[in-house]
Amino acid sequence: MRVLVVEDELRLREELATRLRQEGFVVDQAADGEEGQYLGREYPIDVGVVDLGLPKLSGIDLIRHLRSEGKAFPILILTARDRWQDKVEGLEAGGDDYLVKPFHMEELLARLKALMRRSAGWTQSELIFGSLHVDIGTQQVIVDEKSIELTAYEYRVLEYLVLRAGQVVSKSELTEHIYDQDFDRDSNVIEVFIGRLRRKLDPDGALNVIETLRGRGYRFALTPTSENRNA
Amino acid sequence: MPLSLNTRVLIAASAVLFSFFGLAEITLEKIYHDSIEQDMEERMFGHVYALISAAEMGDDGRLIMDKELPDTRFYDPESGLFGEVSSNDGKWLWRSESMQGMSIPFTKDLPRLAQSSRQVTLPDGHRLYLFSYGVVWSDSPDPGQDYTFSVAQDMTEFDARIAAFRASLWGTLGGVALLLLAVQWGILRWGLLPLKHAANELRAIEEGAQTRLKGRYPLELQTLTSNINGLLSHQREHLERYRRTLGDLAHSLKTPLAILQSAAENRDGKTDLPNVVLEQVERMNQLTGYQLRRAATSGWTVLSAPIAVQGIVEKVLAGLHKVYADKGVQVVTELQPDLEFAGDEGDLMEIVGNLTDNAFKWCRGQVHVRARAEAGPRNGEMDLFIHVEDDGPGIPSEMVRYVMQRGRRADSDIAGHGIGLSIVRDIVQLYGGTLEIGESELGGAAVHVWLPAGPKG
Repeated sequence: MRVLVVEDELRLREELATRLRQEGFVVDQAADGEEGQYLGREYPIDVGVVDLGLPKLSGIDLIRHLRSEGKAFPILILTARDRWQDKVEGLEAGGDDYLVKPFHMEELLARLKALMRRSAGWTQSELIFGSLHVDIGTQQVIVDEKSIELTAYEYRVLEYLVLRAGQVVSKSELTEHIYDQDFDRDSNVIEVFIGRLRRKLDPDGALNVIETLRGRGYRFALTPTSENRNA
Repeated sequence: MPLSLNTRVLIAASAVLFSFFGLAEITLEKIYHDSIEQDMEERMFGHVYALISAAEMGDDGRLIMDKELPDTRFYDPESGLFGEVSSNDGKWLWRSESMQGMSIPFTKDLPRLAQSSRQVTLPDGHRLYLFSYGVVWSDSPDPGQDYTFSVAQDMTEFDARIAAFRASLWGTLGGVALLLLAVQWGILRWGLLPLKHAANELRAIEEGAQTRLKGRYPLELQTLTSNINGLLSHQREHLERYRRTLGDLAHSLKTPLAILQSAAENRDGKTDLPNVVLEQVERMNQLTGYQLRRAATSGWTVLSAPIAVQGIVEKVLAGLHKVYADKGVQVVTELQPDLEFAGDEGDLMEIVGNLTDNAFKWCRGQVHVRARAEAGPRNGEMDLFIHVEDDGPGIPSEMVRYVMQRGRRADSDIAGHGIGLSIVRDIVQLYGGTLEIGESELGGAAVHVWLPAGPKG
């Protein structure tokens, strides 16, 4: 998952980036509103964290510009101002949630994940496909009531596909959302991850969890059991 | 800099005065001129009759002028009165002695009973008034022979009378105009005195000598002065509140700072420093948050349009629907469409935001929001009534007691969830309103707020 962090305070930005990377996010950082607008426009961002008091272009204006350019990724507003007037203004401009500084990092992560899940149409953090459960809050994967151990990259690939269950995701899209820009983009690596995921989730090949569509990409093929996905 | 009111009114009044007196002068002079001209014509007519009665028809059919004329000026060259009689074949028959060698272009050949009067200027610069009258002699042997009797009068006297009149007219009218201007200036000073007085009072306020406009002002200024007074007292209250809040904040931060200091200095190894820091940071965060919001509360606004309540509530609810999208909260709203609030928009948003946020947070799925004009419980006047309820677990009674304690400063030790209610209580108190916390028919909490329609007095 690719997250855009726009925060002018260097220390906080670095803390955020480090923590988000630990959680498996690809992080794009911007120190001011204009840089944030550039990154938001040029990169396939999945979710944004935007501080409101930014140099050059205010957070509110940044969100307005991104929205008017058709960028629909969910945005979490970070602000030191907690008057309702400020919150309502941020949400009206196109923000999806807000967090008042200072905040707990765990709270921020939980809100970000909830936003991404919601924007993909899911209403609960545990996504259930028959015997396969993926909890994107705790990053736990369970098959037949047994916890499955996945590496960080394997989990990222699975999460991206699961959130878009039923949709075709191309290899390059996966690469963009899972790797930093300067990372080695050898597409064979994705194939390796997919292969490993298939073996771990579905050792006997009965479920056909991930389909390969030649020349187009991959698709998470299971249909959700619970009513936890919006139409 | 734009012209002062004094100058404007003076310029306008002078322009009006001077054009009025100018026109009056021209008109009066014209009337006087006409009247003395008519007078002159009548006198000339008299002279002509004198000439006619002095004339006799000779036996030879020629006109003879040998009677003594009653007016001796016809004999005096200096007198400026001249006479001539001519027959209508163009020849003059008689000229007064005063004419002595002068050539005066009298009108000739007038038909009978016709008269003509005109003014001429002679080559030597003298202006003359000429009057001629056509006459036919009834006992003339030659009935076809008509005569023209003419008289000329030097106009020096006429011109002198006009000039004298003009001079006296200018003097009188000019004097009156100046007098009126002076009166006008006085009226203006008197009329603008309250404004000058207000400016002096404002200067005194600026210098700190007084705190409000005290003087009694005329009706037209009362709205202005009472608004200025409102603004001043609003600003003073604001300042007072800022000072108080700043003091409260600084003092309340001292305790957690002291705890942090002693924890950092304690080297016995038993203190869990990271946890102490986190705890105290959380506490300081709540303190600053609470005090900041208190300081930002505005109170009754002066000179600003009332706020449409419906729009505010809908904005807040739209935001909350976004934030609590997962919960799928069912909101029932009953908002009186024309409802207005005369206070600060931010304050109203703070009240509505905190109450509805709590409701969204604690509800199981149902929230009701109502806003309407309703008689308040305290004075029975029409208040702005806001009512928020939910189907959650309700607010614990100890928290209700805690929040509702009068004069309680919620910053002494704020319980996390009570902070929103404490802020609402503070704002409601500031506006002189009423807050009630009860149980909802939905099963959860019901919060009622009555805000007065406007400031008292």
